[in-house]
Formats: sequence, structure tokens, C-alpha cells
Amino acid sequence: MKNPQKFRYIFLALISVFLLSTNFQNLHAQNAKKNKVRLKANYIKIMDSLSYIELTAVSKIKKQNTKVSNIELNIYNEFDDDKIKIGNVITNMKGESKFIIKNLNTIKPDSTSTYNILISFKGNDSFKKSNKRISFKDANIEANLIKKDSTNYITATLINASTNSPITDESLDIQVQRLFRPLRIGEEFNNTNENGTIIVPIEKGIPGVNGILTFEVVLNDSDDYGTVKTLIEAPIGVPIVDESTFNQRTLWSPRNKTPLFLLIFANLIILGIWGIIVYLILNLLKISKSKT
Amino acid sequence: MKNFKTLVKDLAPKKFGKLDIIWTCFLILIIFIGIAAYIDQLIKGQEVTNMRDYALWGIYISNFVFFVATSFVGSVTVAILRLTNNEWRTPLVRIAEIISVAAIVMAGITIMIDMARPDRLLNLFIHARLQSPITWDVFIIPTYMVISLLLLYFPLIPDFAILKKYFKKKDPKLSKWYGKLSLNWTGSVAQKAIQTKSIRIIAIMIIPIGLLLQTIDAWLFSTTYRIGWDSTNFAPYFISGALVAGIGALISVIYVVRKYKKLEDYITDFHFDKLGKLLVLACLTYLYFNVNEYLIPAFTSKKGESIHLDTLFTGAYAPLFWSVTIVGLILPIIVLLFKKGRKPLPMFIVGLVVVVGSWWKRFVIVTPTLLHPFLPIQGVPESWHHYFPSLHEWLITVATLAMALLIITLLVRYLPVIPIQRTADELGLMENDKIKNTES
Repeated sequence: MKNPQKFRYIFLALISVFLLSTNFQNLHAQNAKKNKVRLKANYIKIMDSLSYIELTAVSKIKKQNTKVSNIELNIYNEFDDDKIKIGNVITNMKGESKFIIKNLNTIKPDSTSTYNILISFKGNDSFKKSNKRISFKDANIEANLIKKDSTNYITATLINASTNSPITDESLDIQVQRLFRPLRIGEEFNNTNENGTIIVPIEKGIPGVNGILTFEVVLNDSDDYGTVKTLIEAPIGVPIVDESTFNQRTLWSPRNKTPLFLLIFANLIILGIWGIIVYLILNLLKISKSKT
Repeated sequence: MKNFKTLVKDLAPKKFGKLDIIWTCFLILIIFIGIAAYIDQLIKGQEVTNMRDYALWGIYISNFVFFVATSFVGSVTVAILRLTNNEWRTPLVRIAEIISVAAIVMAGITIMIDMARPDRLLNLFIHARLQSPITWDVFIIPTYMVISLLLLYFPLIPDFAILKKYFKKKDPKLSKWYGKLSLNWTGSVAQKAIQTKSIRIIAIMIIPIGLLLQTIDAWLFSTTYRIGWDSTNFAPYFISGALVAGIGALISVIYVVRKYKKLEDYITDFHFDKLGKLLVLACLTYLYFNVNEYLIPAFTSKKGESIHLDTLFTGAYAPLFWSVTIVGLILPIIVLLFKKGRKPLPMFIVGLVVVVGSWWKRFVIVTPTLLHPFLPIQGVPESWHHYFPSLHEWLITVATLAMALLIITLLVRYLPVIPIQRTADELGLMENDKIKNTES
């Protein structure tokens, strides 16, 4: 062999190519196209209860909308060119999460009493970074049940919380809570008047457990105020009569709820027949002993 | 006129002949094949059957219903004929009792074969739910089994005493067994009184219990609210069907036993004539309930039931339905209405046809209904819409039938098939003379 050193170099070169190729793969993975996360945010306020921002993270992967789970979203309060982190949440398996605002006073509004919130996702190996901004003003709904000429009405007033002035010409939904989704009552649009008030009659005969109905007055997904909701409970429904036989002794109930007549008669028949059978077997013994 | 010696000689059990041994071995072979198939079913599960989500009751259940129906013969011939003072029943009752015992024992075994997990049998008692007709069935079958055994045993006691004497020299070992079974019977006044009273109690008791057994069997179906089963007519329909199956089986077995045991002097054409008339009555009653069961729904049926009836009348099950109705029910009525049709051989053929018809009739009752479920499953395999038993099911079912025949064969071998004492009494022989005569 003329130059064995040559082979050593070729060997090293091959090893280098092999080792580098794995790094190239990593590099390729890093350069792979990341998916874009689309964030949705809704501000929801439930009167005398809690306020929260409802968040959803979605991404279009292979032309299909896919929920993005288990990503961290940071929530910032933006004001006067400044931003303060007020918390963070992680999306669940459905790509959803809820950021609860314990006290709205801890968030600073801008000069127009508008709260500006930035939701930020800083990105990861699979998804690009993404931001979403929402702005809302604080509003209240004051709702009452009144009765006029034997008809029940719901009156509700929508008020701008920062100025304490009525909000006019906004549509409020009146609905009663049902098992799967609320039942709308009244007209399709119930716009607030110059006093920020609506009045909606409640039709009779709505069934409710023990006659109690829970009404919702909702300002739904307003551009300025988000969603504001108030609940009123009122005993004006028709009580639901429970027709279930679950706790009764029936022919279709479990064994510990056997009807008494069946328990008594069936057992009497069984005992009666087997009593006679025992008597007959005893008669066999008697025959055996009665030789004479 | 026969004397007592010849009477006992005629009626005492006889050793197996060559043909009997071949017959018994044949039955045992079928049973062994069936047991092998059953073991395979236990290992592999019910998958080896053709029962699926639709036809979840198959041939095992229709076979079970057939056995339950056949077991009714004990109640009919013994109890009803006894209470109506039909004296001609004497040479027939023992065979009826034997068939009853064999059928009800096999009904109990067959229902266990249908259970995928027989090791959980005890759960039926531990977790019994009294509202369920299945629970009632669990109670009534052992009850009827015990009563049928008692009905067979009580009248046998004096005969065992006679056989003990008869076989004392001929076969001491057999004589010893008969002696034990005779319960020290001497024919004393006290023993006779107890025995007579007991038989009377059983004869009365077995009628409501027999009716209850058939009724519960019918309610297993009619309480399930399924098309073809949801009928208030079902219990009497089953009872009348049981009469047909039972009497048909009785006629067939009696003919064979009479021929091979040479009992023509005891079971005469007169008895066949009477049995023929009884079978006609049973068939007519059953036909009446069949008309009720199918004609009225034909008028009033809604869509689901119409489909079911079409399947029976003109559809896939039409050949079977019309065969069991015409050949298995109407034709026997026509044949038996003629005196010549009530002779032993025609009666035997009619009996066999009735039994086969009765067996397939249960298949027609059970299967088509299951193939039309209330809540059809979406996208079920095409094969689930049809049911015909698998080889495993056939082998096991034929083995159960063979087992019933084996029980009958063995009981016919070791028991006097015609009550000796009662026949002697009817011939006017005193009991003391009988025993003396037998000993001499």
C-alpha cells in the first residue's frame, strides 16, 4: 500500500460526515416551519360574582383547526406605554383556559377608563410567538323582577361603571337557564332606552325545579364592554313534578326495591310448595318406619 | 287370564339385549361428542356458537323450551287423568313420569349450557331479583324436578318391594338395590295410607306447578316486550303447546317400549286410541291458540310486527313456519280423527312428527323475533341478521336430546314401565297372594 495515511483521512472524513449529518438534522428541525397560534379572548363579567377572560388557542395545522393545549399564556395590563404582568395561565386539552380577575381595581385603565389587556404567547419548538389584545370598559347591569297587573317583568339598567351613566341603545338578552342552553324570552332585540333601561314581560308557565327560575340578563359580547351578565332567581315558574319511580318499589326496580306484594306472594308460594315437598319427603321416612 | 306370576314376569325389568346395548352405546357416543364440543365452547367461549348481538338466544333456548314443554306430560297423564278418573291411564303413567323426569332434568342442564359462564350459576340465587321471570324460572325448574321425581318414586315403592322378592335369587345385587328403594315396604295399612295420601297430594300439586312452569317459561318471552313475544296469549299458548309436545313424546316412547318389551297385552290398541283422542284435543287447543297468536296480529300489527309476520308467512322462515303448522299440527289432527289413524303404528309416526314439529316450533318462536330488534344496531355485519346454529351448537343440542333418551332408556331398563301393583289390583289379585305367587 502506497500511502496508508490516506485511508486514515478518508475514514475520519466519513465519520465526520456521519456525525455532522445528525447535527444537520437538528438544524433542519430548528429551521422547520412553525405553526401559528391564533388566540381568542373574551372578557366576561358576572355581576356580584367574578370577572374573567376566556382564552382559546387554535392553530391551523395541515389545513385543519387544531386546539393548542398545554401552552403558557402571559397576561399583561397595558397602560401609558407601560405593561405589567398580571398573571399567566396554561391551556387545557381543549386549548382553553380562564384567567380570573379577582379585583378589577388592581388593573389600571387608560385615560378613557378603558382596560387594555395583552395576552402573549412567547412561542415554543412547535409554535410561533403570538399576541392578542383586548380592551373593555367596566359596565354594570342592575336587574329586578317586578309584577304589574299579574304579569311579571324583568327590568334591567345598563350603567357605565366608571362614569356611573346609563348606556343607551345596547341590546340586552333576557334568557332563562335550562338544562343544556338558556331559553331566550322576550323580543329578539331589547335595546336600552335613554335611561339605559329595558323592560321585558315574562310569559307564564315556564317550568322550574320547585318553581324557581333563574333569569339571565346579558350584554352579549359588546365591543366596548365585553360580556356582562347578571342572574335573578325568582319563584315564578311552574313547579316540575318529579314523575320518576326511582325510589319506588316497582316491577322494573332493582332487587332491593321489589314490590311488597311480589315479595310476599312469591315467597309464600315458594315456601308453601317446598313445605309440602319436605312433608312428602318426611312421608317417605314414615313409610320406611311403618312396616307393620 | 294372567296369574300374578306371569304378570310380574311380564312387567319386571329385563336385561339389556344386543340391540339395547348398541342403542345405549350409540347414545353414549353422541353424548361424548357433545361433551367434547361443550368443553371447547367453555374454553373458547360462546364465540363458537352462531349467537351474536341479535340472535342472543339460539338453539339452546329453543331446545330448553322444548324440554320444559315435554316435561308437562307428567302433569297431564298422571294428574289430570287421575283426577278425572280415567282408568285407562294405568299402563301409561309410569312412562309419562319417566319422560317428565328426563325432560325436566335436561331442561335444567340445557339452560346451563346456554350460560357463557356456568361458574357464575350461584349468582342466580345470590343476586336473585324477584321481579325477573328468569328468577322465577330458576326456582320453578328445581321445584318441578323434585316433584316429578317424587311423582315417579311414590307409586314405585310397592313395585320395588315386589321386584326385591322377584330378583332375590335371579339377581341378588339388583334385589338388594330394589330392597333399599322399597323403604321396607310391606303393604301395611299405615304404609298404604301414607303412600295414597302422598300420591294424592302430588297429583293435585303437580297440576298448578306444571301450569306455573309453562307459564313462567312463556313469561320469559312475553315480559321482554319484543315483537312476536309481547302477547297476553303466550302462557296458554305455551301450555297447550306443551300438551302437544308431551303427549307426542309419550306416544312415541310408549310404542317403542311396548314393542321391545312385548307389552301388547298391557298397552293395547285401546290405549293408543285414547291417547290419540287426547292428542287430537291437545292439537286442536294448540291450533286455536296459534290462530289467536298469529291471526289477530295479522289484522292489528304495526310496521315492526308486520315485518315479523311477513318473515313467518312468506319470508325466510315461511317454509319452517308452515311445515311446523301444517305437518306438525294440522296433519296429525286429520290423521288422528280417523279410527285407523289411532292404531299403534300410525300413532307412532304421528307422535314422532308431532315431537319433531314441536322442537322446530320452539325454534320458530325464539329466533325470528330476535332478528328484528327494537333498536337496530347501526352498521351491523350482514351475518348478524341471520341465524343458523353452528356445528358446536348442533353437537351439544343433539347430545342433550341423546342424554334425555339415555335417561329414559336406563329408567326403562331398571324400573317396571307398567305399575305392577296397580295392574295386579285392577286384575283383582290380593297383595299377599302376589308376593306368595312371585316367590313360588
